[in-house]
Amino acid sequence: MSRSRVVVTGLGMVSSLALDREATWAAMLSGQDGLGPLTRLHLPAEPAQIAGQVSLAAGRHQTLCERMALRALAEALDGFQPHGDPARLGVFQGAGTSGLPVAEAFLEERLAGRRGLAAETASQSPCTVADTLALHLGATGPRATVMNACSSSLLALGMAWERLAAGELDLALAGGAEGLCRTTYGGFSCLKAVDPRKCRPFSRDRAGLNLGEGAVQLLLEPLERAQARGAIIFAEVLGYGASMDAHHPTAPHPEGEGAARAMTQALRAGGLTPADIDLISAHGTATPANDGAECLAIRRALGAAADQVSVTSTKSQFGHTLGSAGAFGAASAILALRDQVVSPTLRLEDPDPHCDLDCTALVARERTVRAALVNAFAFGGNNLSLALGRWEGR
Amino acid sequence: MSTSGTDLVVTGLGLVLPCGDGITAARASLATGPPCFVELPEALGAGRGAACTAFQPAGIIPPMQLRRLDRPSRFAWVAAHQAFQDAGLDPKPLGERVAVAVGTMTGGSEASEAFMRPYLQRGPEGASPMVFPNTVANAASGHLALAFGLKGPSATFVDRENAAFAALDQAARWLHADLVDAALVLGVDGLFPLLMDVCRGTRLLARHGLPEVGSGRGFLPGEGAQAFLLERRASAEARGARPRATLAGLACRSSLGHARAARTEALAAAATALGEASLDRRIGGGSGLSDLDALEAALAAAHPHWPTAVHPKTLWGEFTGSGGQLLAAALLEPAARTLVTAPASAGAQFAALLEGVRLEGS
Repeated sequence: MSRSRVVVTGLGMVSSLALDREATWAAMLSGQDGLGPLTRLHLPAEPAQIAGQVSLAAGRHQTLCERMALRALAEALDGFQPHGDPARLGVFQGAGTSGLPVAEAFLEERLAGRRGLAAETASQSPCTVADTLALHLGATGPRATVMNACSSSLLALGMAWERLAAGELDLALAGGAEGLCRTTYGGFSCLKAVDPRKCRPFSRDRAGLNLGEGAVQLLLEPLERAQARGAIIFAEVLGYGASMDAHHPTAPHPEGEGAARAMTQALRAGGLTPADIDLISAHGTATPANDGAECLAIRRALGAAADQVSVTSTKSQFGHTLGSAGAFGAASAILALRDQVVSPTLRLEDPDPHCDLDCTALVARERTVRAALVNAFAFGGNNLSLALGRWEGR
Repeated sequence: MSTSGTDLVVTGLGLVLPCGDGITAARASLATGPPCFVELPEALGAGRGAACTAFQPAGIIPPMQLRRLDRPSRFAWVAAHQAFQDAGLDPKPLGERVAVAVGTMTGGSEASEAFMRPYLQRGPEGASPMVFPNTVANAASGHLALAFGLKGPSATFVDRENAAFAALDQAARWLHADLVDAALVLGVDGLFPLLMDVCRGTRLLARHGLPEVGSGRGFLPGEGAQAFLLERRASAEARGARPRATLAGLACRSSLGHARAARTEALAAAATALGEASLDRRIGGGSGLSDLDALEAALAAAHPHWPTAVHPKTLWGEFTGSGGQLLAAALLEPAARTLVTAPASAGAQFAALLEGVRLEGS
């Protein structure tokens, strides 16, 4: 089956480092992190009080997720007004917590014996962000919201690629937006998965994740259309792989068996060999279980070529942004492909010997980046890997 | 956009519905009623709904596992078990060649409430590490992967009333791309107190009488799971399976905003994208809520030659599998061509065409 080549022609980022892409990227490369004191939520009894917070608030008729997503959309479009058949414009979003803050507020009101705003709660479906984005984009084509926990937005990117490559769409918007909420904060905390200090992916003494928020939106389109309109091309999407561990409800397979299969599939989908990969934008949560298993998975998937790749974790800059985490990982890989520089894994001062890969400790590194894999793994043993290629003008 | 081609077939069906577990109970309910709405037990919330009160997981879900599962995951497990049995397929040896695609409107929400209530009242002391993993919408797919050894791709969609159609669409793509040999597609939802509280507060529920399409009386919620095993025809035939139906087409159009006119147009475009050929049977997504019923009424008015639609949501409730109940109903009576139309309160509007529906399983 012949496939269209699919390229990224727009990228918008709203992060805890900055409210736009280039400022976020510059801060990442200079070794800044967006982690700070938790102020969005008042949870004084929680032992951890660190989060990656965005300097935006919800509006009167707009949730924080919608606001962040729309801002990222505007940056991704960069003044471009999509035209043509609106039924060939698709919107694919990954969500994690989504409308949970509204549901929490409603429940809190009910527990206090008050009436609460049921209509507002009902209107905050997890797909509200996708609907809002589609309205602004004028898209009446396929629309889907995936909730695969922490791999959601990466699957959304894969779905957009799938439909564009098949020639079904002229343009797709894909990504995710995620805000902090009490359920996930308390939930990861009770699983003892939250580090009370700033997280340290791939470190010997890593003790868990920090939670974060933000939005990333990507504009994807067939290469021919992008070239015809003279669009700036950031990178090429080459394919994705997906798998389940069938091992444990929350813990990854200890040897990364399922994750390796997802990476191998992504390579196959992209027509790549392990030696083509220069960068892995890792899931890298800094939980004791994830990072070791992920490094084993990378070795399993890439074999000897694993010794030549740079690995990096955006969790060290933004915390774990859950439903949008995969899109954050993709954004950092896309910018690395564009600029030929890999963002660092912060606070990696004492690497875990079990994570015996080049995890780009502490400082950014200039290097040749021809192709990258982006990983996102999730509760339920759900694994996603996306293959991206450098755009070299042909 | 449509996923079509006559090479995808439904070879297995599993049903957990308010009328009972299994195909026989569902057929009887669809043929003769009555609607399954009752006063809900307190644990599920205040008010009326279609609850799976006769649900019987014993003998299918091991007791140790049962404890860990949220309500929707229990339904999903039993429905999946039935679907694999119906298809005559043991999924374990296939492992990574079996995908799971789930559609749910409420998946994870029951557990979210169960987690939030004590957390909001008592802080971290009230937080349960047992409950939290089920707060994700994809909890059911993870449990199914563990239960049945499924290692292929997985996706959980939450696209309101039509999430199961989105799941069907994605599963079809994985099969078309030859990434898997079989895909388990599920619609699943569970009732819980906060859901009933929100529904009641929106004043969209039928307060008196039964939900009836066109009455404007409102809808009533339901719960359940519907599992469909989807295969390429060649794979099914190679293992001697007898398909229950062919998935001849699936189409989706989305509306801009929530306006009824835009949604009506999107649903009509989805339905007509599947062609105007003659139909024997039609399943609709009318629920008693005027906002959805109007879309179905507009379709019927524009296509007077189409058969009168059967609306399963008036028997089994809204949610109840987020559109999965419509697909299930389409498979419960033999027909050469059955059109399923699935209106939604916003977003993606779907239509599906099933051909050669037959009752005997593999």
